[in-house]
Amino acid sequence: MADRNVCIVGAGMDRWGVREASIVDMAQEAAKDCFDDVPALKKEDIDGLLFASSYCGRSAFQVNAAPVVAERIGIQPTSICTRVDTLCAGGSSGIIMATGLIKAGLADVVMVAGGEKLYTPQRWETYYSEMASIDHDWDGAQGMGLPPPFFSMTAQDHMKRYGTTKEQLSAVSVKNRRNGANNPKAQFQKAVTIEEVINARAVVPPLGLFDCTPITDGCAAVILVSEDKAKELTDRPLVYVRGTAQASLHSMSMNWPGEDLSDWVHLRTAAKKAFERARVSPEDVDVAQTHDCFTISEIIEMEDLGFCKKGEGGAFVESGQSDFGGKVPVNTDGGLLSCGHPFGATGIRQAMEIFFQLQGRAINQAKDAKIGLTHNLSGLNVEHTILIYGREP
Amino acid sequence: MPVPGVPILEGLYPSTLDMYPFEAKEFNRVHQFYENLRENRFTTTKCTKCGTVSFPPRVACPKCNSDSLEWVDLPTKGKVLRFTEEVAGVPLGFDSPLIHARIELEDGRKLICRIANCKEGELKVGAAVQLFAYEVPPMIVEKRGGVMEESPRMFFAFEPVK
Repeated sequence: MADRNVCIVGAGMDRWGVREASIVDMAQEAAKDCFDDVPALKKEDIDGLLFASSYCGRSAFQVNAAPVVAERIGIQPTSICTRVDTLCAGGSSGIIMATGLIKAGLADVVMVAGGEKLYTPQRWETYYSEMASIDHDWDGAQGMGLPPPFFSMTAQDHMKRYGTTKEQLSAVSVKNRRNGANNPKAQFQKAVTIEEVINARAVVPPLGLFDCTPITDGCAAVILVSEDKAKELTDRPLVYVRGTAQASLHSMSMNWPGEDLSDWVHLRTAAKKAFERARVSPEDVDVAQTHDCFTISEIIEMEDLGFCKKGEGGAFVESGQSDFGGKVPVNTDGGLLSCGHPFGATGIRQAMEIFFQLQGRAINQAKDAKIGLTHNLSGLNVEHTILIYGREP
Repeated sequence: MPVPGVPILEGLYPSTLDMYPFEAKEFNRVHQFYENLRENRFTTTKCTKCGTVSFPPRVACPKCNSDSLEWVDLPTKGKVLRFTEEVAGVPLGFDSPLIHARIELEDGRKLICRIANCKEGELKVGAAVQLFAYEVPPMIVEKRGGVMEESPRMFFAFEPVK
């Protein structure tokens, strides 16, 4: 059988933030929102579930969560039903895997859902659990689980090497918080001024409160199907998965491949492969959701994804090139800085926003968007994951 | 100590929540690394076939796949390339300021580690640092017949050379 083209036909998520709900509750909310988005889909059509969650084993004492979620949301998968864990890129990993399964004919209609319940009844445990997210034996024991110190050093390296300024970092936050202000699902729905960002309480200098994504509870879900099935299910424009890549080159604290911490070789490696597979170049991308876990991350991503030259990310963002009307609008739904970051759900939330953008029904719509890109970095920058979507296969 | 809501855990040691590695020989094939720390040696494995020195230590060579490895010493001195001081929001088990640095060892190897025995504002880029090996709480291992035994543990950071 020839490879089949794969489309997203539906997407949904719950309200993200500090939620009075369990992971299984939120999975049901996200699935309901997703089912509501594609009314022609019958639950019995779904033959696969990939559930992306890193922390359910730690924070909910629930491993093998996929069958639990399948039962609660009322589906009975027969082709695949499994959990995916790539921390911050879990949802994107699920979409890559679902695409492969559908392409190869091993599954036909796959729900990729994911999310985290990170807030525990006592706050210490939420933070303590973060030390499970890295190389436990070598990095966790050094107290390196919480990301801000690592990204502080990354920002210092970029500022020292390229002259990137605190104002340029802040411009990322101002743009993304403005984009999230009208997103009813976002954790933060309030714009911030550049002065507020610059003068905010320091987390780990040069990063302040508004430079960092918060800790978030939330879930999201998308439905992936073959092109033929998509045509049966929807009259909306089809949105195809065109190219994917995921690159991992080193451990967090050892064997870093770049010259300094602002040199993201593994992102360039993933980008080269994803663009080749999608048969497009960075100039072709009309809208992108990149992993703004910290403001500095988005600046470096603009460079190493190829949207601007290395070292020019700060100026690129500050001059509006990553905003509406610029070269490529980035994080149009508010990104991680507004929406928050329930790890396994983030890649799915990004896919949902690109899906809406390419169908012309996003809340903050980019003009004539035909090619969209999502990007995640995971862990303390140990892995980069890219998906490129298009209106054509 | 009773654990409210989890009566079955009373007096038990949940090792899966332990922030330090299971270093004991029964659980770890690179336990020699931790034993060498006791002599203030910073060691790793070298492949006897292709000569690749890997850090962290391995059980098989990541380059040539040979499992004929020997322990070699890495430098215990280096310099700070970049550092960060976390004052608020330090994770449980660590004191404020929690300082991390990307350092370069004398052989050119770069790694990120914790900087111990250092006050806030004291560290500088380029500062000389050295290995600081220290004892961490023991792991409780169940031995034959249900006997609980304390297995001593070491861990490492680097510290400013004073």
